[in-house]
Amino acid sequence: MAIFESLLSGYRALDLTNEKGFVCGKILAALGVETIKVEPPGGDPARNIPPFLNGKPEINGSLYWLAYNTDKRSITLSLELERGRALFKKLVTQCDFIIESFEPRYLDSIGLGYTTLTKINPRIILTSITSFGQKGPYSGFKGSELVVSAMSGIMSTNGDPDRPPLREGPDTVYFESNAAAALGTVMAHYVREKTGEGQQVDVSMQEVAVKRPSSNLLVWEFDKRLIKRAGTVRTVGARSTRWIWECKDGYIFWSFMGGKPGAQGNRAMSKWIDDDGIENPMRAITNWEEFDMAAQDVSKDLLDAQQEAISQLFSRHTKKEITEEGLKRGLNACAVNNTSDILENRQLKARDYWVNINSPETHNPLCYPKYFFLSNQTENFVGSAAPVAGEYNSVIYRDELKLTDREISDMEASGVI
Amino acid sequence: MEQPALEGIKVLDFGWALVGSLTGKHLADNGAKVIRVESSTRIDLSRTNRMVKISSGNNPDDKPWYTHLNTSKLGLALNLKNPRAKSIITKLIQWADVINENFTPGTLNKLGIDYNFAKTIKPDIIMLSSSAYGQTGPMAYEWGVDGTGLAMSGYLDQTGWPDRMPVGANAPFGDVVLPYINALAIVAALDYKRRNGKGQYIDTSMVEVCIHSNTPSLLDFQANNHFRSRNGNRIDYASPHGAFPCKGDDRWCTIAVFNETEWHAFCRVIGNPAWTKDTRFADMKSRKQNEDELENLISQWTSQYTDYEVMYKMQTAGVPAGVIQTMADIVDRDPQLREREFLLPIKNPELGIFGHPTPAYKLTKTKARIGHAPSMGEHTEYVCINILGLSDEEFVELMRENVFE
Repeated sequence: MAIFESLLSGYRALDLTNEKGFVCGKILAALGVETIKVEPPGGDPARNIPPFLNGKPEINGSLYWLAYNTDKRSITLSLELERGRALFKKLVTQCDFIIESFEPRYLDSIGLGYTTLTKINPRIILTSITSFGQKGPYSGFKGSELVVSAMSGIMSTNGDPDRPPLREGPDTVYFESNAAAALGTVMAHYVREKTGEGQQVDVSMQEVAVKRPSSNLLVWEFDKRLIKRAGTVRTVGARSTRWIWECKDGYIFWSFMGGKPGAQGNRAMSKWIDDDGIENPMRAITNWEEFDMAAQDVSKDLLDAQQEAISQLFSRHTKKEITEEGLKRGLNACAVNNTSDILENRQLKARDYWVNINSPETHNPLCYPKYFFLSNQTENFVGSAAPVAGEYNSVIYRDELKLTDREISDMEASGVI
Repeated sequence: MEQPALEGIKVLDFGWALVGSLTGKHLADNGAKVIRVESSTRIDLSRTNRMVKISSGNNPDDKPWYTHLNTSKLGLALNLKNPRAKSIITKLIQWADVINENFTPGTLNKLGIDYNFAKTIKPDIIMLSSSAYGQTGPMAYEWGVDGTGLAMSGYLDQTGWPDRMPVGANAPFGDVVLPYINALAIVAALDYKRRNGKGQYIDTSMVEVCIHSNTPSLLDFQANNHFRSRNGNRIDYASPHGAFPCKGDDRWCTIAVFNETEWHAFCRVIGNPAWTKDTRFADMKSRKQNEDELENLISQWTSQYTDYEVMYKMQTAGVPAGVIQTMADIVDRDPQLREREFLLPIKNPELGIFGHPTPAYKLTKTKARIGHAPSMGEHTEYVCINILGLSDEEFVELMRENVFE
């Protein structure tokens, strides 16, 4: 049976976002929503975000932009000009979703706030992704990945104790907030299809991010204790143990845990330490299922000695050995992948996770993640390259809105499109 | 719109640990009737977690983390390994619109209650399975935790200082992001079923979702052969961009300057000292080249003020800045999160009244409906008799056979 439909085929979104809101539209586009980026004439300023193709800062060469705008169309339109807004309002009558990440109240200030949009199209869903939310004392604050990560309590738990707290490598705050925004959007859509009424979805990146460390929040609420940054050690309950280790050619993730969750891995670790002829303080434990790290009779010295032996074992082997041999032994250790390791991973290849995408700027196709999830009845795949600015103008303005060539060139000349 | 978004939707929820529990929570908090199936014979991780002193060793119902993750659900205790449990499961599948599960792949198959079975009972069922690596492929059956996603996706490789080992935040990432994708897939599938009448089997992997957060680096490597690695708090397109020390013990404020307008505003805030006119800091490129020095000079200024003073001074001038807040700052003081009601006080019989997380994506017309998390087996009798229609005799008989343990 041929499968070609996507879960949300047949709907349309206008995507007004900058880098804070790219991924929400990317997800909807993968689910089949026709997603049209509305860029200011000259292109979205976020097209200036590095890295760039061949290291050259060019308008269509931002790999950051290419990564997160797949499957979208692009039109250029100035919302700052009255004629641009009039065109935009026409588009609003023919769309199902609007996604935006302007500062709160900006759309109101140019006469395109939710109350206006809902008069034009009562079914419209307006998803607003901002650093702190639409209302409240910090809603006028300027935010960014770093600033929101700080304000949400994530940074206070990340980094080495002897240096400043750290941001996370990828833009986790933007990414997670956009996944949350996509859920809110689809939830509002589900309601709209029952009631006929749209609504605004208000996503605060700070509020999304603060819910990640919900256990740290409880530790403060109940015990008035703060979880602090601890480098390669993770604080679980009363004890802290290593979770990141150095190996021969890189790093390894392996949590040293007590009780049932850690038992199989601990037994495998102890056996491997023995097989390698390293002095083995893990032998002191006979029943790993009952091994309670928080128990009074488990001394810090014993935990330290065990971790020293584990450290020695990892330092003797490569990432590849530890992953492959570890799998056979039931150790469940995981290599800290670099970008090349990710692309070579056999599990991802076996799942057909990658898709090659050509774009006008790249000479060779580049490999992108193909899906957010798999489904047996529908295809919800990333498939086409991020658009060049304005590449869909003629389809929208000439074919759909029936503007004449003269009107179009006039608007181009006056900076509307 | 008085009703929550998913009013009328029925979910059979085998979800556990973080990913499964949070997936069910998104649905339940938005009004779906979610029956959480669990067993004291294979107890959920969050029901044994003793990170706070009030939690005992043997009471499954005194763990605040469990309640955080499982609001608004009904609790059914059911030992899936008991052969007589299958009649209950069959009735639950008949009742449900959606099945959510995140056991190690293969588990439900061994119990004879996988998608192929569910489909024979309810052909248009929507079922979602999530796991670390996905349901297929050579690694499918391997166990994974949150750190697996961090290690596999490149997060760890890129988090830390250039001269040190990788580090990661003491906060789950994939375990919390994946449930958003899961719930999104389920709600989109419900909409699809409304239009097309067809159900769906959905397969999600935490590792695969995490990798999306690293797509720009993957493209950078392929196109430019460039490995992005650990770089502290610095990024390529902003400077200054970091955490700066403030008055007090371990207090910091982040500042992020993305363009020349923000740079000039920043210079005005710190009183335009002579060094800001120096050619070493004249534009973004120069500031990037002299970032060590720049950060030292800024630290001297920030050290004279509290973190909140620095934030307000910067924000008033339009410069992005934010305090590195601790959980004490957030829970006890943050006025913004309080305004958004990020925690809802709910009474728990064992733990008293404390805040439970609300959805961070606020639907402005359709309100969430958040109730308490069920104690172990709290609704077993209600579910069996009132929802599944068992007679009292049938219920008692199954109870005698230890089906509900």
